[in-house]
Amino acid sequence: MLPLSLLKTAINHPMLVELKNGETYNGHLASCDAWMNVYLTQVICTSRDGDRFWKIPECYIRGSTIKYLRIPDEVVENYKDEPSRGQQIRKDQMRRGAGSGQRGGRGGQSNRGGRQPSNLSSNVGGSTNSIGGARPAKQQRR
Amino acid sequence: MSNVLEPLVNRNTLINKLNISSNYRKFTDTVSVITSDGRIILGVLRGFDQTINLVLDDSYERVFSMNGVEQVKLGVFVIRGDNVAIVGEVDEDVDRQIDLTHVRADPLLPIVH
Repeated sequence: MLPLSLLKTAINHPMLVELKNGETYNGHLASCDAWMNVYLTQVICTSRDGDRFWKIPECYIRGSTIKYLRIPDEVVENYKDEPSRGQQIRKDQMRRGAGSGQRGGRGGQSNRGGRQPSNLSSNVGGSTNSIGGARPAKQQRR
Repeated sequence: MSNVLEPLVNRNTLINKLNISSNYRKFTDTVSVITSDGRIILGVLRGFDQTINLVLDDSYERVFSMNGVEQVKLGVFVIRGDNVAIVGEVDEDVDRQIDLTHVRADPLLPIVH
């Protein structure tokens, strides 16, 4: 769970941001970026000593001035539920592995035999075609 | 995780667990973080990145004073790496033995730059 991707998951959730100078900003996270710059809406700013408050409709905070962020518990649950996380990465790796296996195996051999010339439309297909042309020639020499 | 399967090399160190956790494994150990403003925050380390930004889950602050230790619940906490002084693994068995009601200590001072 990367801190900045968790922050991205927290978009549209309420949060508390404390700055290095001690001021705190309570508001809804509208957007954030890779530098932890955050854009809050419906903000209540609290002074360092906690006895003065300002209501601000929106504010943009530079990431480097932030000390910490408090985010609601449900954001972590949302993060776990998102299918685009670890599971998805693992699926992609499996898909990639299976794909290359097929290409190197049956797919490649069938191309060499020239049984499916209609499949060879792209540049990649063209290169396999040239290999496919070379292999039978060698076999013929033997 | 079973200790029976542990190889000869001690993989149980915090830094090893951190490296393992970056490979999408679950990291569920409680850590104690001391921030540069002198706060002590404990929580389950759920994630971190190359700038030592941390994600702490179920976190709480231990506020030390000469009147006793107060524990303040914080929930999910993202600490910016700039602000992190120390991250240490908490031995929860030892931690449970500490009777915080009898602990008296001055709060830590913030880091002076």
